[in-house]
Formats: sequence, C-alpha cells, structure tokens
Amino acid sequence: MSSALADPPSLHPHLLLRRLHSLLGLVPLGAFLCFHLWENSQSRLGALHYNERVVGALHRLNYLPLIELVLIALPLLFHAGYGLVILRSGRAEPGRYPYLRNRLYWFQRLSGLGLILFLLLHVGLTRIAGLFDPAIAADLHGYMQAALRQPWLLPIYLLGLGLAVLHLANGLATAAIVWGLTSSAAAQRRFGWACAGLGLLLAALGVQGLFGFLAP
Amino acid sequence: MTTIELCVRRQDRPDSRPYWQSFRVPAGSGANVLALLMALREDPVTCSGERVDPVAFEHNCMEEACGACAMLINGRPRPACSAQVADLASPVVLEPLPRFPVVRDLMVDRQRLFENLKRVRAWIALDGPWDLPVSTPRIAPRQWVADYLYSRCIHCGCCLAACPQFPDADAADAAGFVGPAALAQVRLLNAHPIGRFARTERLHAIMAAGGLSDCGNAQNCVRVCPKEIPLTTAIGELGRASTLQLLRDLFGD
Repeated sequence: MSSALADPPSLHPHLLLRRLHSLLGLVPLGAFLCFHLWENSQSRLGALHYNERVVGALHRLNYLPLIELVLIALPLLFHAGYGLVILRSGRAEPGRYPYLRNRLYWFQRLSGLGLILFLLLHVGLTRIAGLFDPAIAADLHGYMQAALRQPWLLPIYLLGLGLAVLHLANGLATAAIVWGLTSSAAAQRRFGWACAGLGLLLAALGVQGLFGFLAP
Repeated sequence: MTTIELCVRRQDRPDSRPYWQSFRVPAGSGANVLALLMALREDPVTCSGERVDPVAFEHNCMEEACGACAMLINGRPRPACSAQVADLASPVVLEPLPRFPVVRDLMVDRQRLFENLKRVRAWIALDGPWDLPVSTPRIAPRQWVADYLYSRCIHCGCCLAACPQFPDADAADAAGFVGPAALAQVRLLNAHPIGRFARTERLHAIMAAGGLSDCGNAQNCVRVCPKEIPLTTAIGELGRASTLQLLRDLFGD
C-alpha cells in the first residue's frame, strides 16, 4: 500500500528487550525460585539430610559456577537492571483508581525495588559469605538456623519471601497478557486465579522451609 | 431546581498557574455537568460574590459521541455530557483532563491523541497507484460484532488520562507510550478487510519504543472508558500478534 510515511523499521530492539525482561523473569528466574523453595522446604528433615542430600548434591553438580552465573546471576542482573529502567516511566495513583490490577501494577514495581534490597542481603549472607568462610557451606543448615534465630532476620526473610512469590505470581499473570496467551477479560481473570493459587502454594512451601530451619 | 456547589480548577493561560474557584449553580432535574457549566456561563459569580470571567470549556454533540467535553469530574476522567449531577457527590469538583496541555480552564489541547494515531498508522489507505484487489469488503457477522466494539471510540482521551504509563503533557516525547486508544485502533484496522494490507507496518509501529510493550497492565483504561471498549482485550490480542510478528522477524522471512 502506498502511504505518505516511510515504513517503520522492522528491527525493534525495544520490544525484544521488554520481552527478554519478561521471559527471563519466568525462565530461569521464576523456575529457579520454585526450585529454590522446594529445596529449602526440606530443611525440616534435619541438618544431616539438608547438608548432604540438598546442599551437598547441588555442590556436586558439574559446571556449578557456570550454571549459577548463566542461569541465575546474569538473568537476575538484567531483570533487575531493566526493571529499574521500566520503573522510571509511570505513576500509579492507587488511591484514585482503586482497582486490583492498578494496585498490582504499583505493587509489582514496589516489590521489585524491595526484592533488589532483600536479595543483596540474602545473597550476601549466604552465597557471598560462603565464599570467604568454607564452614558456612559445610553446615548451611546450622548457619541458617543460627541466622534465623536472630529476631530481626526472620521477619525480613518472611517479607522477602512474600515479595518474591507475589512478584512472580503477578508477573506470570501479566506475562500471559503481554505474550498474548490471555486476551479476554474473563480469560485474564481465570488465569489470574491460577497464578494466585501458584503463589499461595509457593508461599506455603517457603514458609515451611523457613520455619523448618527453626524446628528442634 | 436545586443548587449545586461547583469547584473548578481554573487557568487563564497555558503557561499561567492554576487556581480554584467555587460557584453555586442552579440545576434542573436530570441536569448533567455540561448543563451546570452552561448555567454558570450565564451568571459567572463565585461563592464569595465576585463576578469573574466565564469558565472556558469545550462541548459539541451533548450525547457522548464526540468526546470533546471529557474532563476530570470528582477526580475521575469522563465526558461531562454523560455525567448526571444527581449521581455525583457534592461539591462537584471539575479539573481539566490530565496528560493534556491546558489551553484555558477546562479546555485542553487534544493534539496528542492524533499524533499517537498517526504514529501507529491508524488509517486505511484507499488511494494507490493500482486498484484494490477487493470489490466490496465482506466481514463475517461474528467478526463484525467484535470489531464494532473498537469502532465506538470517540477519542475523548479518558483512557489516556487514567493510564499510569501515558506520559505527562510536559514530559511527552516522541517515544512516549502511545496509549490504549491508539492501540485499540490498530486492533480494529488490522482486522479490517482493506486495513489488513498494512497490518505488518502497524505491528512494527507498535513494536517500537513507546508502543505496545510500554503498557503496564494497570488496566485503568478499560475501567474509565465511557464507551466500554474492551481496550485490554485489544492489548492482549495485539500481544499475541506482536509475539508472532517478532518470531517472524527474527527467524522467519
């Protein structure tokens, strides 16, 4: 068709970057969160089981540093960094428009910020501290038990868990709209409930894991 | 006849500071906000007894078909012609439609709407160097019913005023979010028997910066749309179309 304007360029790094941000949030980051909570929910089975069958088994994986870097650290850095770029545009007005989706729009951005802070603490306390002190990796169960017995850390971990699970559940619901899986309002509502169910399940798994460390 | 208290955010010039004035205006039964503003125009005296310049506002059709009278009424963007005074809390607070530059009082410059329609090529090219390969466009009834919903857009700008991603008028740049109204027109015209010839061009336009992926799924647009256009359904359908277009661009032709 003829038209007055030149054709827009077919190269579109913008959409590609946004979709990469969305994809990496689900796979590998969301998938890793599920795996991470599943692994740590086994803390209740005791120090011997946790240190040997959970942490030890992971440490015996081939190419573990590479897996951590490529499947966790780099996607996390991109997702968080590009998330901060997205954060710069937009205003939420959750008071003026008190709808669930608008509140979740606001919450998704706020929880992203909170998660960056929480993950700095969480990764620093475990993975980074373990680099300098081999005793931490040798008895991670005992280390976490001692750490979570401090009265200020357990609430922070519960909050971080809640933010992570809600961020993933809501991210999954909006990713379904973004990628075009759900289009009608009814489909979006149904899939939203499914995501809420997944979030509840993951939260239960995480709480089980956290209190499992404190079990006698 | 009842008397309604009206608080209006006024602004004398595009670059001057806004200020508030209160008025008491007689309202007949069944009056809408435009009727209040017309009554006020006849006798523009504030609550403190000062005679002031009449409040400037825009209106045209008076039946929610032109979109010209959209403003913030008690904090919500909606056309003034379909806002029944009896349904509104008192005092009725009127502000110009946000995200649009104020011309004067409740009048805003709506050029942004049309700039964004141009960005997404929201038109159908009928004239070309050759005949169109279709005679009479034929649309299946089921598709017509779905498409009709999007053709009801009156370009009032309420969805843009409520959208958290639509940039403020003073922060607007050429790459800012185009907003739900323009996206819904892409959904409509891409389904049109002749409009679909420019489908790929429109998809590429909304795949650029400020396009579809700048939507944050807050979904305020669909809540405030006076014509109840399923804007978020359009955004979901365009999400699917742009996913497929992205794969086609990357790995296809």
